[in-house]
Amino acid sequence: MNTATGYIKALQSGTKHVVMKRFTFRYPQEKLKFVGDGYQFDPKKGVGIAGIRGRHILFHDKCTGCQLCAIACEGIAEAITMVKVDEQWKQNKKSIMPQIDYGKCVFCGLCVDACPFYALYMTDDFELSSYTKSHLIYTPAQLAVKPKYDGEVEIKIGKRGAYHGR
Amino acid sequence: MSNIEEKISEAKKLALQITRETEEDRLMTLSVGPQHPGSGHFRFVIKVDGDYIVYVDPDPGYVHRGHEKMCEYRNHFQNIPHLERPVIHDSCNITYSYSLAVEDLVGITVPRRGQFIRALASELSRLSYTLYWLAIYGIFLGHSTMFMWPAGDRELLIDLLERLTGARITNAFSIPGGVRCDIPNNFKEKCLAQVNYFEKRLKEYEDIFFNNPLLRQRTEGVGILTKEDAIKLGVTGSVLRASGVPFDVRKVEPYDVYNEIDFQVQYMKTCDSFARAYVPLLDMRESCHIIRQLIDKMPESGDVREKLQFNIKSSPGETYKRVESGRGALGYHVVSDGSPKPYRVKASVGSFRNLLALPFLLTGSKLGDMPAIYWSLNYWPVEADR
Repeated sequence: MNTATGYIKALQSGTKHVVMKRFTFRYPQEKLKFVGDGYQFDPKKGVGIAGIRGRHILFHDKCTGCQLCAIACEGIAEAITMVKVDEQWKQNKKSIMPQIDYGKCVFCGLCVDACPFYALYMTDDFELSSYTKSHLIYTPAQLAVKPKYDGEVEIKIGKRGAYHGR
Repeated sequence: MSNIEEKISEAKKLALQITRETEEDRLMTLSVGPQHPGSGHFRFVIKVDGDYIVYVDPDPGYVHRGHEKMCEYRNHFQNIPHLERPVIHDSCNITYSYSLAVEDLVGITVPRRGQFIRALASELSRLSYTLYWLAIYGIFLGHSTMFMWPAGDRELLIDLLERLTGARITNAFSIPGGVRCDIPNNFKEKCLAQVNYFEKRLKEYEDIFFNNPLLRQRTEGVGILTKEDAIKLGVTGSVLRASGVPFDVRKVEPYDVYNEIDFQVQYMKTCDSFARAYVPLLDMRESCHIIRQLIDKMPESGDVREKLQFNIKSSPGETYKRVESGRGALGYHVVSDGSPKPYRVKASVGSFRNLLALPFLLTGSKLGDMPAIYWSLNYWPVEADR
């Protein structure tokens, strides 16, 4: 290719971006929309349900304290420990439930795959930062809380290029 | 008068002594990395004679973490999340290769729909890796627009991976037995729209970067690796294809559904740095083509995963399976003694094989050509160290 045309074409394709839409979005004000409510797993079918892998949610009325999630995590991150809870549940004789350290968790979701009782899912809450390490350890009571997250924007493709829109 | 002349002649002798050059004095030793922002976690010691490099000593191992030894203490499923750590943005390909090996040992076949989804995730992962590499190549050559564009467009593919797998980079998606979950609703339309848009963007990359005379002057004819040398050194992936050898594991040893897919192996015969930068772009185009076919041919319904026990015991034996990753052939040799944990795992990665070409290419070239040669090798330090 001719040198002059090469320069002109390079400049042209750069200048075209003046009229194109901004691809980035303003994060804390606008948030990304995810598929579903987070990663879930159906032990009967043996297949997961697609969703973002954020922090976990624990259903106290279903957890039996079988420790399968902790065993699955053993060689990966060792983030799950079983702790004693004050509540009394019929299915949970030992009254133990998982406690998750998000300073160690790698969000692989294999603990969710291991749970045979529909008790442990993942949610779309990914904003877990805190000032101290001890705040990253979520007790069973904290894990039971359903997070509130409403994403708005997603990638759209228009005439003036791709952008994040509602 | 004579006194002054004596002093001058003495001073001249002294000056000659100071500036007298031996062979060792002529050479200057430079250490590139690991503190250099462009080199990654990798250091190479070079000796320069003026502007020319005469000696190169690569020194990998800064991020060695005993990755292969770690595998011996975990079962096949627990291995998946930490096997993908070396190249987190190409994670679907690494776990793909390991899954194929374990499936061979256990003796199962993945359901057909699972094979398609796995291949789709692997193609998306390859695209996102190549864009990341292209962004670094751009900024290393001082072209900051070429850093911004691929890094921005990578979001299109990361977004698709996030919808499909649930995580943006560390996907942990391909597991022994298939994939973790089925594709979500409206994924196919979304995937087609974004991949088609992305393919149009590749034309703009060519205009601003690859056909730019500035880049061509810096890379054309630099770091020539001939076909014979490339084969002798045992390089792989885009480096090998840029030297005129049409080798792609997807074509040579088709795994899963790749024998049903129609695609060309892209290669160039110019053997220089420019070819090594341009072949990945051609590969990206081919990947877009493959993704469209995968979506088109995917069965409408069916299982995606063969259910395996968490502590699955494999039959004693050994196997080697390889896939084409973003950096070339990537294989896992898994030896099993019949217990749930592998007896030995050995990875053969493209990065380490391409590293062998680095001293070969840099010796004799100019110091200014170092960035253009180093990053064109598609080298990823973390993967090479493992």
